[in-house]
Amino acid sequence: MKNAKQLEQVANRNRKRIVEMVYHADVGHLGGALSSVDILTAIYENEVDFQEEQRTRVVLSKGHAVPAVYAEFVEKGIIDETLLKTFRHVNSRLQGHPFIRDYPQVDASTGLLGQGFSMALGMAVAKKKCGDLHKVYVMAGDGEMQEGQNWEALMASGHYQMDNLVFIIDYNKLSSSHPTNEIISLEPLADKLRAFNLHVISIDGNDMEQILLAIAEAKTVKGMPTAIISNTVKGKGVSFMENIPKWHASGLTTEEFECAMRELNEKEEELNRGI
Amino acid sequence: MGYEMITLRELVGTILVEEGKKNPDIFVLDSDLAKSTTTNKFQAEFPDRFLEFGIAEQNAMSIAAGIATEGKIPVYANFTIFISGTCWTQLRQLCYANLNVKLIATHPGMDGCYDGASHHSNEYLALVRTLPNLRVLSPSNPDELRQAVKLALAYQGPVYISCVRDSVPNLPAKEQVEMGKAVVMEDLGDDFAIIYEGAVTDLAMRSFEACKEKGMKGKLVNIFSIKPVDTDCIRKLAGRVKRLVTIENHTVLGGLGGLVAEIICDMPAHAPLKRVGVEDVFTESGPLKAVKEKYGLTVEHVLEKLEED
Repeated sequence: MKNAKQLEQVANRNRKRIVEMVYHADVGHLGGALSSVDILTAIYENEVDFQEEQRTRVVLSKGHAVPAVYAEFVEKGIIDETLLKTFRHVNSRLQGHPFIRDYPQVDASTGLLGQGFSMALGMAVAKKKCGDLHKVYVMAGDGEMQEGQNWEALMASGHYQMDNLVFIIDYNKLSSSHPTNEIISLEPLADKLRAFNLHVISIDGNDMEQILLAIAEAKTVKGMPTAIISNTVKGKGVSFMENIPKWHASGLTTEEFECAMRELNEKEEELNRGI
Repeated sequence: MGYEMITLRELVGTILVEEGKKNPDIFVLDSDLAKSTTTNKFQAEFPDRFLEFGIAEQNAMSIAAGIATEGKIPVYANFTIFISGTCWTQLRQLCYANLNVKLIATHPGMDGCYDGASHHSNEYLALVRTLPNLRVLSPSNPDELRQAVKLALAYQGPVYISCVRDSVPNLPAKEQVEMGKAVVMEDLGDDFAIIYEGAVTDLAMRSFEACKEKGMKGKLVNIFSIKPVDTDCIRKLAGRVKRLVTIENHTVLGGLGGLVAEIICDMPAHAPLKRVGVEDVFTESGPLKAVKEKYGLTVEHVLEKLEED
């Protein structure tokens, strides 16, 4: 188990990989990958053991944030670092959205928003039926919560008291084009989730200490599924991207790439000094 | 004709119970229609392996994907309109992942008769047969349905079984059916060949008899496996007989007729193909027989198509 400081270092390395992937592809979803990478890093590092036959599952329902997963797979030695520049290219295994054929460590082929909660529920049901005690984590974007199927899955999960299931909403407040709550408001989100019989935890999803506490709390909940409202900053970690809608799915110029990497390298040095 | 009729969907629950006894990994999913699909029989026998998700079909389809990911075998039974239509992107996504999900779709085509066009699924073959990785079977009698379920369970990957609500002749299978193999039911000559899918078996057999009475000698072919399809058989027929007729409880666009057209279109010479099915319209409510007759599924219509220039 890594502590918060160690995980911050890994997450920062993953941010550099995310930026590199999207720079070489000249297209990809930087904002949502950077907002969600902290909690994804924490779950993959501390909760998932790919050597186990039955294991903890991670479903990325907001499949467009897949660079955050590929970055972590580099960290885990599943993907060779040199392949990152092939992201979204023809003949690459690094598809634009998660695809289980090439990497069975990806637990669900996603991308069409709104389906991941249900897939995770299916995994959780199967795990309960066969006595597998591992958890299933599934992350949706905040804009994705406008999809009705999510609420079908939440309703069924609450009904069946799926306490092996942890829903994470990456609440970075920005959708593809506008602030999420200006398009169709999710609020009051926590109340809605509670009304669906979920245990709700609200955190700063870019704060590793809070992330670890939330995961620990989710593991203790009995008789109901947990929803972690992970309040994040879109584009987190690269100052000129933070909270700017343009970085939802934009490529980078060489100058922007160098500027972003310089910032992340400085952060890396800072984190190294802090250990 | 000398046979009794039987509704295949009434056997779904019984067959799943038989298979469920042999294989503890089978889970049956329902969307509040277990009585109509007869999976309530499985529910009674294996309550722990029967999963009710209410009237939320897309949820159920993606849940099936998740269950398959964990190595279990989900069987999702529901009306065709929901499985092929309401859940199409969810189905597509699990086909993309090539997950081991089994689908039993009842009430194909106009089989939801009284419910009307909203519930008629005259487009389902076009929707499902275009999905890569998906196998599509169309059994035409109880033996074939039983065998289709066995084939589906033995196959690693998504399989769609179309199961009629209307009745089919209660006859034994002519031969053991296989994926990718059509069954030549009758072969009296080369005047014509009727190719049909499971839901219209009775009409196809009656049409063949009517042709015989008119002195026409042809072939009667039960397609059984829509995907993979018996390309070889169809091309041989198209190169040999004088006329091809497809019959389907489906629009003539993109279904069995469309499939046969795709298969023979690049042959330098082939028999003309006539398609019997619903034309490009929405249908309506009514008794099953009356609805099907109004929208073209009659012996007279088949004969007309066979004889027209």
